[in-house]
Amino acid sequence: MPVAHAHRSLVFRLAAIVILTAASQLIAIGQNIPQTLISIDAENLSLKEVLDEISEQSGLSFAYNPNRIDENVVVTYTAQNSPLDQVLKEILTPLEIEFTFLETQILLKPQKKSSKPTNKVTLSGYVKDVENGEALIGTTIFIVEIGQGTITNSYGFYSLTIPQGSYNLQFSYIGYEPVNEAIQLNSAENLNVNLKGQPPILEGLVISSTDPILTDAIQLGRTDLRTKQVNERAALLGEHDVIKTLESVPGIKPHSDGSTFYYVRGGDRDQNLILIDDAPIYNPSHMLGLFSTVIPDAINDITVYKGEMPASLGGRLSSVLDIRTKKGNDQSLQIWWNTSIISSKLGVEGPFKKGKSSYLLSGRWSQIGWVPKLASDEVDEFFFNDFTGKINFQLGKKDRLFLSAYTGRDSYLGLNEGIEWTNSAATLRWTHLFHDRLFMKSTLSGSSYDYFLHTDRSSNTRWKSHISNFTLKSDFSYFIEPEHEVTFGAGLSAFNINPGNITSDVEIRPPIVSIRNSAELVLYGNVENRLSEKWGIKYGLRLTSWGNFGDSFEFEFDADRNVIDTLNFTSDDSYGEYFNAEPRLAVSHYINDESSIKASYSRNVQNLHLITNSISPFTSLEVWLPSNLNIKPQVSDQLGIGYYKEFPKNGLGLEVESFYKIMTNQIDYEAHAETLLNPLIERELRFGTGTSYGVEFILKKQQGRLRGWVGYSYSRAKRKFDEVNDGVEFNAFFDRPHEFNLVLGYDLNLKWNLGMNYTFFSGAPYSSPISFYQFNNEEIPIYGQKNNSRLPDYRRLDLSANLKLNKNPDSRFKHGLTFSIYNFLGRRNPFFINYNKTDAGESQFEVPTNLLEKTRMPSQTFMFQFVPSISYHFNWL
Amino acid sequence: MKKWWNILPFFLLACEEPIDAPLNIVDSDVLVVEGLLTNQKINHLIKLSHPHTQISGDPIPATGARAGIFIDGELTYLLQENPEEPGYYYSEPFRAVFGQVYVLGIEYQGQQYFAFDASAAGEPLPAINLEQVNESFYRLNRPAGGFDPNYINHDIYWDQTSFCEQDTLCEGKVVFYDLKTTDVHEIYKPDKTDFIFPVGSVIVRTKFSVNENYRTFLRSVLSETSWRGGYFDIQRANAPTNLSEGAIGYFAVSTVVSDTIVVE
Repeated sequence: MPVAHAHRSLVFRLAAIVILTAASQLIAIGQNIPQTLISIDAENLSLKEVLDEISEQSGLSFAYNPNRIDENVVVTYTAQNSPLDQVLKEILTPLEIEFTFLETQILLKPQKKSSKPTNKVTLSGYVKDVENGEALIGTTIFIVEIGQGTITNSYGFYSLTIPQGSYNLQFSYIGYEPVNEAIQLNSAENLNVNLKGQPPILEGLVISSTDPILTDAIQLGRTDLRTKQVNERAALLGEHDVIKTLESVPGIKPHSDGSTFYYVRGGDRDQNLILIDDAPIYNPSHMLGLFSTVIPDAINDITVYKGEMPASLGGRLSSVLDIRTKKGNDQSLQIWWNTSIISSKLGVEGPFKKGKSSYLLSGRWSQIGWVPKLASDEVDEFFFNDFTGKINFQLGKKDRLFLSAYTGRDSYLGLNEGIEWTNSAATLRWTHLFHDRLFMKSTLSGSSYDYFLHTDRSSNTRWKSHISNFTLKSDFSYFIEPEHEVTFGAGLSAFNINPGNITSDVEIRPPIVSIRNSAELVLYGNVENRLSEKWGIKYGLRLTSWGNFGDSFEFEFDADRNVIDTLNFTSDDSYGEYFNAEPRLAVSHYINDESSIKASYSRNVQNLHLITNSISPFTSLEVWLPSNLNIKPQVSDQLGIGYYKEFPKNGLGLEVESFYKIMTNQIDYEAHAETLLNPLIERELRFGTGTSYGVEFILKKQQGRLRGWVGYSYSRAKRKFDEVNDGVEFNAFFDRPHEFNLVLGYDLNLKWNLGMNYTFFSGAPYSSPISFYQFNNEEIPIYGQKNNSRLPDYRRLDLSANLKLNKNPDSRFKHGLTFSIYNFLGRRNPFFINYNKTDAGESQFEVPTNLLEKTRMPSQTFMFQFVPSISYHFNWL
Repeated sequence: MKKWWNILPFFLLACEEPIDAPLNIVDSDVLVVEGLLTNQKINHLIKLSHPHTQISGDPIPATGARAGIFIDGELTYLLQENPEEPGYYYSEPFRAVFGQVYVLGIEYQGQQYFAFDASAAGEPLPAINLEQVNESFYRLNRPAGGFDPNYINHDIYWDQTSFCEQDTLCEGKVVFYDLKTTDVHEIYKPDKTDFIFPVGSVIVRTKFSVNENYRTFLRSVLSETSWRGGYFDIQRANAPTNLSEGAIGYFAVSTVVSDTIVVE
C-alpha cells in the first residue's frame, strides 16, 4: 500500500471512530431516564438507605450536600414498578427536597423557602485555577437557595449582594471540577475559590453540563473559546491558531486558505477589533497571513462579540475579539515548549511571591528561513517572531497591578528590497476594589503597527506606513445585587497615523501624504438587570467624540473630485470632529431554566478605516486613515434575535441567532485606485451602504469525552455605491450564503485525543470577464456586474491526533505529540482565478512576454492540498 | 534568479492549473477603439472593433464606420478603412505635433463617438538591454527608465533568418512600461514567460510618451493584464476610456522616438 494511501486509510478510520462516537452520543439523547421503573418497599429506613436502593436499581447516583439534606430522616414508602420520577416525587416532596436529573446523577437540594426580607450583605471574591492561579473568567456562581447567581468578570472577580442567611454556592466552570461551598452569611464576606481542571473523561463516568452563559446571559452574538479547543484542532503546519479556530464559528467567515483575514456578519475585515489585554493589534498576522500573531499557550481567555458588544467595547462595526493573556503561574514555576516545522515557542512563568505576584515570558520564533534561502540567492531575511511578557502584583486585598507587553516582527527581505512589519502593544492595568460591590479597572495601553516596503536597502529607502495609539481608560462595575450590575467608564485615546510615505537615509523627503493625529473620547454606561424569573434586560449607551488635531494638511474636493483647496492645520487646530451616540439594548425572556429567547439592538461607530483595494488573502501594503473632513465615520445598526436551549442531560447547548445589519459610509474604491503614495488618496474612495442579514445555528458540547460543535449559517452581505457598479447593489466579497462547520474532539483513551474539523462554505464572489478587447496587443478583460461570478464552493476536512507521551499522568513533566493533516481530502480550493496566463511548463503559469502569442487560458491558484504535520510540546509544572 | 516573493508558491505549497470554467460571456456590440497618433509622419492607424468572447481570441472588426481627425474643430484628416484589413482605418500621412489637441470623431451605426488627446513631450531611447542566452538566441531585458512615464514597444522580426520555420509566425512583440507608479500588484506581479529570439532578428524600438490620462488608462490596462495574477492582486475593474457614448478603448496622442537594431 502506498504510504500516503496508508496514512489516509489510518486517519480515515480514526475519523470514523470520532463520527461513530458522536452518533452514539446523540442516540443517547433519546433515552428517558425518569421513566425507569423502580420497585421499593421501605419501612422506617433512613433516607440514605432508600436513596442507595434507588441508585442500585436505576444505575444513577445521588449528589447532595449532607449539610443541607438530612440523610438520616426516616422514610416509609412502597412502590411497585413505578416510574423513577414519580417515586422520587412521592418520597422527597414531603421532605421539602427538590430533585433534578443531571446525566447519570440526581441532584438533590432543599426546596426554596419563602422568608421575610432581611439585611443584605455582599459576598465577593476571586475564582482561580488551583494549579496556576489563572483567573477563571466566566465561572458561574449559583446560589441554590434563591436560584440566582452571577459570573466572574475578566479578572475572575465576582460579587453577590444577597440577604443574610445560610447558602449553598455552586462554583462551576467548563472543564473544571465544580465546587460546592456552604456559607453562613451574616456580614460581608470574601470567598476565594480555586477550581481544579478535570482529567479526560472516559466511559463509566460522565459529567456533563452546558455553558450557563448560553441561556442566562443577556447577551447575543458572543462566543467563548478555550485554549484547549484551539490546541485540539488540526493545525496547519503544526501551528495552532486562535483566529483559524474562530473561523469555524457560524457568522465568522475566513478569507480563504492561508489567511488570517476574517469577516463577521457581512462586515469588512477592518471592522474587526482585536484586543490583547485591552491593546489593539492592527495586523494580527505572521508569514503574510498564514498564521496569527497570538500564541494559544499564552492565552487565558478568548471572547468574540459578533457586533453586539457591551457598551464598554466598540470602535469597530462588526466584532471585537477580546483576548486575555495568562497572568503567569502564581503557584509554581512552569515551563512550556512547543515546536513545529514552522516555529518554536517557549514560555516561562512562575511566582515572584506565591499567590501574590507572578510573571510570564513567552516567545515564538520561526525556523524556516533556511528554506527560501536554498531556493533563491536573492533571499536575505525570511522570518517572524513574537514575544509576550506579563507581570502582576497583588498589592493588597483590594489592589492588583498588571503589566503586559507584546511585540511581533515579520521580515521578508531580498538583497535590496522586501517587506517587513512590526506590531507592538503594552498595557499597564490597575484593578481596585473600592468595596465589595464596586470594582474598578484602570488601563493605560499603547499599540503600534509599522509596515515597510524596502525599495533600496543600501540607502534604507523604504515606504513606511504607521499607526499607533495611546489609551487611558477606567471601567467600573457596581454589583447592586445578583444579576443586577451597572458598568460605566471613560476612555481617552490618541492616534498617530501615517498613511505611507518614503523615508531614506540619503535624502530627506518631506511627507507627501498627510500624517494625521486624532483623538477619541469615550464615555459609556451599561445596566444589566434580571428583572424577574422570566425577564432580563441590558441597556447601555456609548458616547464617542472624535477629532483630528495637530500639524497636517487636508484637501477639499469639488463634486468632480477636483482639488479646490488645501487646508493646512497647525498644532493648535482641530478639525474633522464627529460626535456619535451608540445605544445598546438587549432583552432576555427565560422560557424555563433551560431555554430562553433574546433580542438586541446595537449601534456601532468606527473612526479608523483600513484603505486597501487588495483582494489578496495575504497582508499587503495597506494604510489606515482616520475619520476626517473627507471620510465620515462608518456606522452600523444591528438587530438580533436568538433562541437558546440547554440539554443538560447530554451537555448540549443550542444557539439559533438571526441578525439584520445596515451599515453606512462604507468604503469602496475607484477602479484601480492608487492607494500608495497618493496625497489625494481620499479622492480614490467611494462611499455607500452595506446590508447584511442571516441566521446562524450552532449545537455545542463543551465537555465530556466527545466535545465540539456543529454549525450552519445562511447569510448575505450586499453593498451599494452610487459610483460603483453603476449604482447597482452587488454581493460583497465576503458574501458566502452557506457555511457549515463540524468541529469535534474526542478522548479515545487517556493517551490519545482525536480531532476533526470539516468546513464548507459557498464560493467567494469575484468579477469574471464577460468579453475581451485589445489595445497594443494586450488582451484586456471587460467586466459586467461587479462580483458576477463565484469561486467554487470551499470544502476542507482536517484531522488531528494528540498523543500524551507520559506514562505517569501525575508527572510534573508532561509532553506529547500532535499529528495534523490539513485538507485531508486534498480538495483544491482556489483563491484566485486568472485569465491572462499561459502554461509555461513545469506547472508554471506565467504572463506571456511576447504579446503576439495567443496561448492565454483560464487558470486557478490553490494551496495547501493535503498537508501533514507534526509538533511536539511539553509542559513542566 | 527568482525574487523572494516568487518563491511564495513553493512556500505556500501553492499550485496553479488550467481550468475549464465557463465565462459569464455577454455578447456585446460595444465599439472598441484603439487609436494612436504620433509625431511620426505616417499613415496613422485607428482600429475599430467589437469585443471578442474567447480568451486569446481575435477582435471582431467594426466595418463601415466614418472616422476623421479634427483639429480646432475642423475635420482635418479623413480616415479610410483598408478593404484588406477590415476595421483598420488609416489617415493620410501627417505628424501629430506636441501641444496640439487632436479629436477623433467616429460615426458608426448611426452613433457618433468622440475622443480627444494631446501628446506629452518625448524622451530619447535608452540603450537596448539584450542578453545573450546561448550562441544563437537572445532575450530582452528591461531597459533603463526615463524621467517621465513612457513605454517602449519592441517589434521583433526573424522571418529573414534561417531560424524561421515555415508556417510559423516569425515575429514577436515585447513592451516595457515605465509609468512611474507605485503599486503593490506591480511590485509583486507574476512572472513572465521567457521569450527568446534568434541572432539576426530585427528589432524596431519605439518609445512612446505618456500623458497623465494615458498613464491612468495604461496603468489600468496593466492592472488587468501583466500585473494581474500575482499574490497581491487588487479588485478587478474595467479600464477607463476617453471615448464618449459608451465606446471603450483609448485614443492617444504620443511623442515617439524610434530606432531599428539588428541582433548580431
